Amino acid sequence: MTIRLEKRETPLIGGWTVIVFSVAAVLVGMAVGGLLFLPFDASPLDGYAALIGKAFFNLRGFGFTLVAATPLMLVSFGTIVAWRCGFIFLGFEGCLLIGAMGGTMIGLQALDGGTLAGLPPALVTSLALAWGGVLGAFWAAIVGELKVRYGGNEVLIALMMNFLAIYLVQYLVVGPWRVVGDMPQTDRLPRDLWLPYIVDGTRLHAGILVALAAGIFVHILMTKTRAGYEMISSGLNPRSARYGGIDVAQRQRQAALIAGGMAGLAGAITIFGVHHRLLDGLSDGTGFLGIVTALLGRLTAPGAVVASVLYGGLSVGGDAMQRQSGLPSSIVVIVQATIVLLLLASEVLRTHRLVFGNPAATET
Amino acid sequence: MESLLEISFITTWLAASLRLTGPLLLAAIGELYSERAGVLNVGIEGTILFGALASYLIAIWTGNPWAGVAAAAIIGVAVNAFLAWMYVVIKASQVVVGIIFNVLAMGAASYAFRTLMGDIPRIETAPMLPEISVPGLSRIPLIGPSFFEQSIMFYLTLAIAVGSGILLYRTRFGLNLRAVGENPKAAAAAGVNVVRMRVLGVLAFGLGGGLAGAYFVLVQIGLFRDTIVQGRGFIALGIVILARWNPYLAILAAFGFAAMDALPLSLQLLDLGIPSQLLVALPYLLTVLAVSGVFGRSRNPASLMVPYHADR
Repeated sequence: MTIRLEKRETPLIGGWTVIVFSVAAVLVGMAVGGLLFLPFDASPLDGYAALIGKAFFNLRGFGFTLVAATPLMLVSFGTIVAWRCGFIFLGFEGCLLIGAMGGTMIGLQALDGGTLAGLPPALVTSLALAWGGVLGAFWAAIVGELKVRYGGNEVLIALMMNFLAIYLVQYLVVGPWRVVGDMPQTDRLPRDLWLPYIVDGTRLHAGILVALAAGIFVHILMTKTRAGYEMISSGLNPRSARYGGIDVAQRQRQAALIAGGMAGLAGAITIFGVHHRLLDGLSDGTGFLGIVTALLGRLTAPGAVVASVLYGGLSVGGDAMQRQSGLPSSIVVIVQATIVLLLLASEVLRTHRLVFGNPAATET
Repeated sequence: MESLLEISFITTWLAASLRLTGPLLLAAIGELYSERAGVLNVGIEGTILFGALASYLIAIWTGNPWAGVAAAAIIGVAVNAFLAWMYVVIKASQVVVGIIFNVLAMGAASYAFRTLMGDIPRIETAPMLPEISVPGLSRIPLIGPSFFEQSIMFYLTLAIAVGSGILLYRTRFGLNLRAVGENPKAAAAAGVNVVRMRVLGVLAFGLGGGLAGAYFVLVQIGLFRDTIVQGRGFIALGIVILARWNPYLAILAAFGFAAMDALPLSLQLLDLGIPSQLLVALPYLLTVLAVSGVFGRSRNPASLMVPYHADR
C-alpha cells in the first residue's frame, strides 16, 4: 500500500476549491491545536470559545485585534505590490524599524526646544507618519536598485538589510537618542502627538484608518490602473512583459518604493499608536507575518485585510487566554502556523490527486 | 600596563570569537548543502531551536551530553524531512514555508518546554561536552589556550567543514549536488535524480542545523530558553553568502561574524569609543555588498529558490 501523487488532467480552480481547502485547513489546524490543551486538563472547545470570544466578540478585545492587524495589513499591502511585480521582498521587518525610526525622529523634534516645537500636533504626527513611509521606501529602494541594476538576489540582500536596521535602531536607543533611565529607549512622545483612540473603551487608534486607506489605494492600483497591470505582467513573465513594451526594471523600482513605504508607515504608526516612543526589541516578526497574511489573502488587498484581522485576532486571543487561564499562548502560535502550512500544502491538491494503493494495480 | 591590557584583550577576544564560531559554522555548512542543491532554507532558525530543545531535554534525562547531540541530529533531520517534502515535492514557496516553519518551531519549542518542565522550570544545567586541550600546542603563549583548549565539538565542526569541502568538490555526489542547484534540467538529462539530491541537501541542512542547536546548549550555555537562537540562524545565511557558497571560506566567514559579535564584549577592556552596534553590523554590511552584485558577481547557485518540475 502506497500513497502517491498523480497529476490531474485539469487543475481545480474556482472559489469553491479555495473555500473548501481553507475551511478544511482551519478545522484540521484547530483539531491539532485541540490536542495540545489536553495535558493542561482543559477543554479545547471552552478554550477556543474563550479565545475567539475575547478576540472578536468583546469590544475592548476586538480593539486590540484591530491594533494588531494594522501593521500586518500594511505589510501585506506592500507584499501584494512587490511580490506580484516579481520582487520577492523579505525586508519588511527592516523597513518597519526604519519607518519607526523616521517617525520618532520627527516626533522628538516637536519636544520643547526642537525645531518643530510649536507646530500643530496633528501636522507633526502627519509629517512623522509620512517621513516614516519615505524612509521605509528609501530602505527598500536600496534593495530594489541592487536587484534591478546589478542583478543582486533581493531575498538575501533584504534579509541582511533587516539586521542593519535592527542594529541602527539599537544604536540610536542606547546611544544618541537614549533618555536618562535604565531602559534603552527614547523620551516618550507628548500625548497630543499620539494617534487618537477612535472608539471609546478601546485602544483602537486612528492608524487602522490609514491602513484601510492604503489598502484601497493598493487595490485600485493593482486592479484598475495601467501601472498595476504592468507590474503584474512584469511579475508573471518578465521576458514577455519586456516584449510587450513594459519597462520591467522601472516597475520593480516603483514596487520596491511602495512596499517599503507601506512597511515604513506601519512602523511609524506602531510608534505613534502603541509604544509612543522608540525602544529596543521593536522587531517582533510582524514584517514576516505580514507576508504570510498577504499570501493567505491570495495577494489581494481585501483578502489581506481579512487574513490580517483573523491572524491578529488569534494572537490577541491567545495572549488573553494565557493571562486568564494560564494556558500557554504558544498553542495558538502552533495552530496559526499549522493552518498556514496546511494551506500551502493543499495547493498541490489543485493540480494533483492522492492515489492510494499499488501503482501497478491501478494501471491494470 | 598598556601592553598587558592589550594582550589580555586579544586573548579574551580570540577565545570568545572561537567559542561563537562553532554553532554558526555548523549551521552555515548545513545551509550550504541546501542552497547548493537549489533550496534556500529559511527554516534555519526553527531547525536550530528544535535541535537545542532536543539536546537539552535528552542530555538532562540521560545525563549524557552525547545522547543530547544524537537527539539534536535526529530531530534536525526529521523536521527537515517535512521541510524537504514541502520545498521539493509540494514545491511551495521556499521563503514562505521557511518563515512559517520558524513560527511553528517557536510555538512548539516553547509549548514543549513548558509542558515537559512544568510551570516554573527548575533551572537545571545540562551536562556539557568535554573540552580537549591539545598537548603541547595549548601551551603556546597568547593564542595557545584560545585555539587548542576548545570543546570537542569545535574540532568536530572544523572537521565537518573541511570534510564538506572535499565532499562537494572532490566527489561525484558533490558534483551532482552542485549541478542540481545550478541547472537541474541538465543534471536530470545526465541521469541525476534531482528530487533525491535536493531532498538530501535539505536533510544535510537538518543535520547541521540540529547540531548547531546542540552546540548552543551543550557547549555554550547549558540551558534552554525559547529565545536561544534569536537571529543567529539568519547570521548563518549571511556566512554562506560571504563565503561564496564555499565550505572552506565559510570557516573564515563564520570566524569573522563571530569576531565582530564578540568584539563589543571584549572591547569593554579597552575603551575605544566606537559604538558596538557599528562593529556588530559590519559583517552584515559586508554581506550585503558581497551579494549585491556591485563588486563583480558573488553569484548564488543559479536555480536557488526555483522549484524543479520534471515535466516542464
